[in-house]
Amino acid sequence: MSGRDRIFARVRSALAGRDRTELPESFGEWRLKSPPVSPVEGFQALFESAGGEVVRVSDRAGAATWIARFSTDFPSVIFGEHVPAELKPDLPSVTPEVAALGLSMARGAVAETGSLLMDARDGRRAQLLAPTHVVVLDAAAVYASLREALISLKDDLPSAIGFHSGPSKSADIGQIMVRGVHGPGRVIALVIDESVIVQDHKEGIS
Amino acid sequence: MSRVNPGAYRAASARTIQNEPGVRDSVGSATRTFDANRVRAFGQIDSERWRDWARDVKTHALTNLDRYLEEAEMRLLANGAHVHWAESADDALRVLADVVARHDIRSAVKGKSMLTEELGVNDHLEQLGVRVRETDLGEYIIQLLGEPPSHIVGPAIHKSLDDCRRLFHAHLGTAPDATPETLAAAARDALRQDFLAADLGISGGNFLAADTGTVALIENEGNIRLSTSLPRVHVAFVGIEKIVPRLEDLSGLLQLTARAATGQPIGNFVSLIQGPKTNEEVDGPEEVHVVLVDNGRTELLADDVAWEALRCVRCGACLNICPVYRQTGGHAYGWTYSGPIGAIIAPGMLGLAKALPLPHASSLCGACVDVCPVRIPIPDLLLHWREQAVEEGLTTTAETIGLKAFTALAERPDAFSAAGALLRWTPWSAAGRSLPILGGWLQERSAPHPSQKSFRRLWEEGIE
Ligand code: SF4
Repeated sequence: MSGRDRIFARVRSALAGRDRTELPESFGEWRLKSPPVSPVEGFQALFESAGGEVVRVSDRAGAATWIARFSTDFPSVIFGEHVPAELKPDLPSVTPEVAALGLSMARGAVAETGSLLMDARDGRRAQLLAPTHVVVLDAAAVYASLREALISLKDDLPSAIGFHSGPSKSADIGQIMVRGVHGPGRVIALVIDESVIVQDHKEGIS
Repeated sequence: MSRVNPGAYRAASARTIQNEPGVRDSVGSATRTFDANRVRAFGQIDSERWRDWARDVKTHALTNLDRYLEEAEMRLLANGAHVHWAESADDALRVLADVVARHDIRSAVKGKSMLTEELGVNDHLEQLGVRVRETDLGEYIIQLLGEPPSHIVGPAIHKSLDDCRRLFHAHLGTAPDATPETLAAAARDALRQDFLAADLGISGGNFLAADTGTVALIENEGNIRLSTSLPRVHVAFVGIEKIVPRLEDLSGLLQLTARAATGQPIGNFVSLIQGPKTNEEVDGPEEVHVVLVDNGRTELLADDVAWEALRCVRCGACLNICPVYRQTGGHAYGWTYSGPIGAIIAPGMLGLAKALPLPHASSLCGACVDVCPVRIPIPDLLLHWREQAVEEGLTTTAETIGLKAFTALAERPDAFSAAGALLRWTPWSAAGRSLPILGGWLQERSAPHPSQKSFRRLWEEGIE
């Protein structure tokens, strides 16, 4: 008998005579007491309260403009695999270990938890190593609940998915919160949201 | 195996209280903060329903454990992961040794995991000549100090900012009065080199979803994402009780665990790991090993009362609220898992004789059962183990007689109040030390004086 078989034998003998209970109804019928106005609003509120930043633009051109301006403060960049050429700023692209800025595409986001869904196929190092991380998010891919997000992820899972819900932080030193401990200390969700008009205008001209 | 010595609990807790008063201050303030955050986070949700739901999912998974373990194994294999079964800590460490030998591993990075503490992974790796670095900031602090974790969520909560300043000054050369930001930055720089150099990443697992073969990990720093992404081999140690039926069941469990542990809506970083890097991916480990660990869990499962403790999601909420834990922190308990949860799983996992007197390290105030996100009836389980100890003749004779006498008295109200009256009028310091139950406890501390009136008398007269 293998170790595996002995473990199964012990599990079955422990469970013999015990009621096998039913799985309860799905989670999510009872969300936050005050649900957000829209998934994007909900995502933004939680992501910001966890220390993340949110910028909303109305289209890809607006995103490209914002990225081009923002990236002038950085000497180098690492791009996620799926970042389209039109969003790439004119910066030296370097290895993730030394890049000052990471630019990735989110697979989606979750309003209920304020999380960006980061797919390993876009490149894990680009998501994790640079001190500042900009993540492009399509507003249409923001799920209201974590349950909906997980159900949709299930059909197409890469080797790993990371939920990033704000900058890296720790209170392990004397219970004082510090940012940027291992992962990015600054994370910005750049949301492409067609319903945004005024803000985009401002982004475009300022 | 890591240090296991619950038997010394009484002496160890007395020592902590007398010799290290700073521990009580640090642990007290950290646990109060954790708990206040939990209260706020529970207030934002319908926490009663969430907790019912979480209890029911975990109970369903545990009462169908065989079926879901088979399913998880099948899915993980289909995802390209290696699956190992470890009956004991030795089995688990053997799997690790094989991986180390086969891949010629020289250095490893590790994300915070209580199971790897339980198994004694670090000591074993050192013996194999592998340099292993704890990467969670709290774990890094206690690794430098050579101490075990004192809390299942905040391993270094017994250390103050000044303790960390002295430690980092000695190890990393930071200024003696450095800010927390400077200290964290110094640790980040040192650990970044370790991340980039490591051949092996080690993690635990908070949940294992059977239908997708997903190992889910919760953290705040990003060190677990790095440990499971950068090295070419990843080994995850997962307790067999961590199973949940479906990926979507993580929706409630990830949120409730974070709210109970730190008051956050979700951990800053969550990793959902299915297996090794695929052909369409540019990075990630080439090999993923999932080690499914029993090490006493099936024994606990076999106990008709205490098996419910296997629902635990290791949020630490019961430690944070426990008036007994707050006095000493976790080291006194002499085992990886401390506080109320440690006291109810130790007898099942280590054997009752070895776990004593942990089931007695509680005032049975019941605060823990009100906070537990999976509704483990902790006080009932403490009593269960105490009764079991008396039945098996494991308590000292004096304690057994004491408990029996107490039971007899409690069943007869007139005798109970007579005995109480006698106690209240007995010269206390001498009598206290000779009392059957309190004797051992009082050898290391002085007892409060009994009230001049019984509680029942005060109650009748009206308590202010
Ligand atoms: S017993 Fe409950 S409260 Fe304590 S750590 Fe486990 S899940 Fe959390």
